[in-house]
Amino acid sequence: MNVIRLEEVVKEFDGKRKVRALDGVSLEIDRGEMVALVGPSGSGKSTLLNLIGTLDRPTSGEIYIDGQKLSGLSDTELTLLRRDKIGFIFQFFNLLPSLTCLENAALPLHLRGWKRAKARERAEELLELVGLKHRLDHLPDELSGGERQRAAIARALSVYPPILLADEPTGNLDSKTGAEILDLIRDLHARLGATVLMVTHDAGVAASCERTITLRDGRLAGDEVRVSRR
Amino acid sequence: MMLLRLITWPYVRKHVLRCTLTTAGIVLGVAVFVAMHTANQSVLYAFNRTVDRIAGATQLQVSAGEAGFPEEVLETVQSLPDVEVAVPVIEATVQTGIPGAGNLLVLGVDMTGDRSLRDYDLENADETIVDDPLVFIAQPDSLIVSRQFCEKTGLKLNDRLTMQTMAGPREFTIRGVMSSQGLASAFGGSLAVMDIYAAQMVFGRGRRFDRIDIKVREGVRVDDARQRIQAALGPGLQVEPPTSRGQQFEAMARVYSMTANITSVFALFIGLFLIYNTFSIAVTQRRGEIGILRALGASRALIRNLFLAESAIAGLFGSVLGILLGVTLARGVAGYLGDYFGEVYGVGEKADQVSADPRLLGLALLIGVVTSVIAGWLPARNAARVDPVKALQKGRVQVISEGENRMRRIVAFAMLAAAIACVFVSHQTFFFYLGYMLSVLAVLLLTPSLCSWLVRWLRPLMKGLRPVEGALAADSLLQAPRRTSGTVAALALSVALVIGLGGISRASYSTIGAWVQTSLNPDFFITGSETITQRSFRFPESFADEVARVEGIDEVQPVRSTRIIYQGTPVMLVAADVEKIARRVRARVVDGDRETMYAGAARGEGVVISDNFSLLRRVNRGDVIELPAPNGLLRLPVLGIVVDYSDQQGTILISRELFKKYWGDQTVNAMRVYAKPGVDRAALRQRLLDEFGHRTRLFVMTNEELRAYIMRLTDQWFGLTYVQIVVAVLVAILGIVNTLTVSIADRKRELGVLQAVGALRNQVRHTIWMEAAAIGVLGLAIGFALGGVHLYYILDVAKRDVAGLRLDYLYPYGIALLLLPVLMGSALLSALGPAEGAVRASLVEALEYE
Repeated sequence: MNVIRLEEVVKEFDGKRKVRALDGVSLEIDRGEMVALVGPSGSGKSTLLNLIGTLDRPTSGEIYIDGQKLSGLSDTELTLLRRDKIGFIFQFFNLLPSLTCLENAALPLHLRGWKRAKARERAEELLELVGLKHRLDHLPDELSGGERQRAAIARALSVYPPILLADEPTGNLDSKTGAEILDLIRDLHARLGATVLMVTHDAGVAASCERTITLRDGRLAGDEVRVSRR
Repeated sequence: MMLLRLITWPYVRKHVLRCTLTTAGIVLGVAVFVAMHTANQSVLYAFNRTVDRIAGATQLQVSAGEAGFPEEVLETVQSLPDVEVAVPVIEATVQTGIPGAGNLLVLGVDMTGDRSLRDYDLENADETIVDDPLVFIAQPDSLIVSRQFCEKTGLKLNDRLTMQTMAGPREFTIRGVMSSQGLASAFGGSLAVMDIYAAQMVFGRGRRFDRIDIKVREGVRVDDARQRIQAALGPGLQVEPPTSRGQQFEAMARVYSMTANITSVFALFIGLFLIYNTFSIAVTQRRGEIGILRALGASRALIRNLFLAESAIAGLFGSVLGILLGVTLARGVAGYLGDYFGEVYGVGEKADQVSADPRLLGLALLIGVVTSVIAGWLPARNAARVDPVKALQKGRVQVISEGENRMRRIVAFAMLAAAIACVFVSHQTFFFYLGYMLSVLAVLLLTPSLCSWLVRWLRPLMKGLRPVEGALAADSLLQAPRRTSGTVAALALSVALVIGLGGISRASYSTIGAWVQTSLNPDFFITGSETITQRSFRFPESFADEVARVEGIDEVQPVRSTRIIYQGTPVMLVAADVEKIARRVRARVVDGDRETMYAGAARGEGVVISDNFSLLRRVNRGDVIELPAPNGLLRLPVLGIVVDYSDQQGTILISRELFKKYWGDQTVNAMRVYAKPGVDRAALRQRLLDEFGHRTRLFVMTNEELRAYIMRLTDQWFGLTYVQIVVAVLVAILGIVNTLTVSIADRKRELGVLQAVGALRNQVRHTIWMEAAAIGVLGLAIGFALGGVHLYYILDVAKRDVAGLRLDYLYPYGIALLLLPVLMGSALLSALGPAEGAVRASLVEALEYE
């Protein structure tokens, strides 16, 4: 059953010139798949990720997340949907610099109104899951690149969302650390069963995913499955 | 120049709102400076213009302040060899009672000689009457008025005009109309000329003139003639050119100039902080840009000069806007000042036009630009020191290094210690102002540390209110210490200014109220003028006895108050029955023994002076003061000093007998009337009006009416102060809006992440609102403390340099309490726009923002 479905999605940006970043993209991603989204610079990968992540709205076309049609939802409804069903992992981590590791991981829970003790317990559990139990009270400035990304992953997993979106999660890391992060993501995917959609430039990273979707000039240019879909 | 176009201009275009807000402090500071000083100058200019036009060909004037002198002086003057023409003048301002006509300046002149000094330029006259001065004198009801006055009132040639005189109502006939230029344009065109002897009757002058206008002989140097005429007349009379009246008026208006300067300095200081803040943040934000420029070969000096040029342009822009705003406001302020001076000093002169002195505007421009450049100097220096390598790395958290913070604290505490030391030698003006400046600077230097401590203390409270929003708001303030402390400093300065002005206002009302209670305790005040401050109309001395005989009257105290020139400044001389006054009035004694001082003054052995006279003129008990009088120079010791707010320039109380002897003036301009116990005051007042109203001009003011009038004058005085308070609060609010706008921009990515991980819009709004509220709390806390210090000093400034007012230290808790909701509310209001901007911004852009 698909957890993400796009139907003829178009995204245009108005600037000095109108730019058509996505030009009628249709695709389906099943629950539990681990998918790499590849393509040259400017192909629309990040745009597509942002639309699926409800950070932006398409110019036309429909997007369904877990069966829910996104068009017609208000900003609040989109935020609630994002809060409950989607976890984000960014290339530049986007941890809040004034919050500790623990506080960053607990941030989404506090936003949901969880009680302090419960949020703390969950955050500790997540940080242990990503191997950062020894860094709970450290600020982002005090962490290495890999540790920051682990903290960001812990934050993304806060309510164990069914969908994880990662925008070049290893793009800002050295190859060794990047490989460790990739292993972590694959491990979490296997253990938690989340659907993972990962934008990457790295062919090696793409090869490690079950499925690779290729975008070129805003259109679908390829869809290669290495592991059969359930 | 090229860099300004390529680098600066795009930045300004992108941040139009922020740049505009940055200059707002300069705009307001310059506007206040220009408005107050232009208004002051306009009123002064209008006054000088009137003096000039009335003077005509007059080169010297003989006067005894406001008091006038006996007619015999004229003969003496006319007999002097240097004098070609000497004519007597009576000058008085009256309320016409005609709707829309306002006040009228009446000149009483002797037509036989006056036309050789003044050109009446009659356009429409009964030439038989006016052409022959003897006929004009023979028709004492003749009046010449200006064309403008006719247009205002609808009167024309040969019309009759009834005026209330000291001899009862009298009809006057308009027998000449002056064209609207030259003499006729004086006093805004509301001018009337009558025969001098008729004027004596109208205004109750008896056999006295107000002054003598002189033209010296051809070939005689005016200054030489002045000295010789002065020597001939003695020191009791003043012989001065007409322009000296303008200088005397200027001395009286000095109080306002000083107040305007203090407010302008504060507003500009706040503007300085706003600009410093914004430029500091801009340097941080544009580090990448600076890094690129340096990497491409720009020198440190070039970077520094670029930012200095930006601050100079901001200052120029702000100053020009400020000047335009100030000139626009000046008209309203000039009207206000003109009315106030008319009420208090009796020199009513409306400034119909605002005359903006180019030198003043140039000074304002210079002040604005210099303030802006000073504010931008440190950020420019820091910009020049940016390491290009570090600048091209991704943004790092901005801190004031602990070393820098420690140095600030050390310097601040050293300044505080020096300020405290200055308190012990504050009798010396230099150390007083040095201590003032050091204490304010010390608090400002401590602001970053104070902000840090206070925010750390507030953080748990904020986090307790809202775990995420509160923590983020507090951390935003801690993470950007320059931005935070700059804004808080500007806010604190505004609060301090408000506390200072509020404290002075509160103390003044309290002190003046107490004085009114103790000193102005008669049941009625009888005057010949509509208000107690106008002294144009005078009663004969015998009138007091007539009033005393009215049933129900217990005691009448006749008073003759008049302005005399003491060391170049007009001060109030009050001649009264000192013994009677001492029995009824319990004035607050500042120095001396109450019984002794009043007894001595009653015997004519000395004077009692007001506290403000003592402070302004640096005169103490035991000092001998010289009072110029028509019948000789009067030297008297100061027997005591009391609190008396009758006049802003100070008051001297002497016995009526002494006054009559030295001024030769038997008249009175006011009577303090005490009713017998149990008498119906309303009925008594009516009896007075019925008894005397038909045969003389008089006004009977009850005690309540006088108190209300004095409090109204006090309100008028503080009216402009309240405007200054509004200005201070406005600038503070702009500071908060500025900071929040920048803060939002700084935290674009952070706020985007917050929404990306599930924060609802309201939660983002709360973060920003809490930050704004925290800034408000910090500014208020530090501002209240700084305000307490500022109030201490400003009270002393009021005492020693501005108005000689010895006011109690009364912290204006009422105003402080009012400031709380106003500023907190303003802080929250100012957060609305930036908050909406934050939640409605594109999330995608925010997440990609660097």
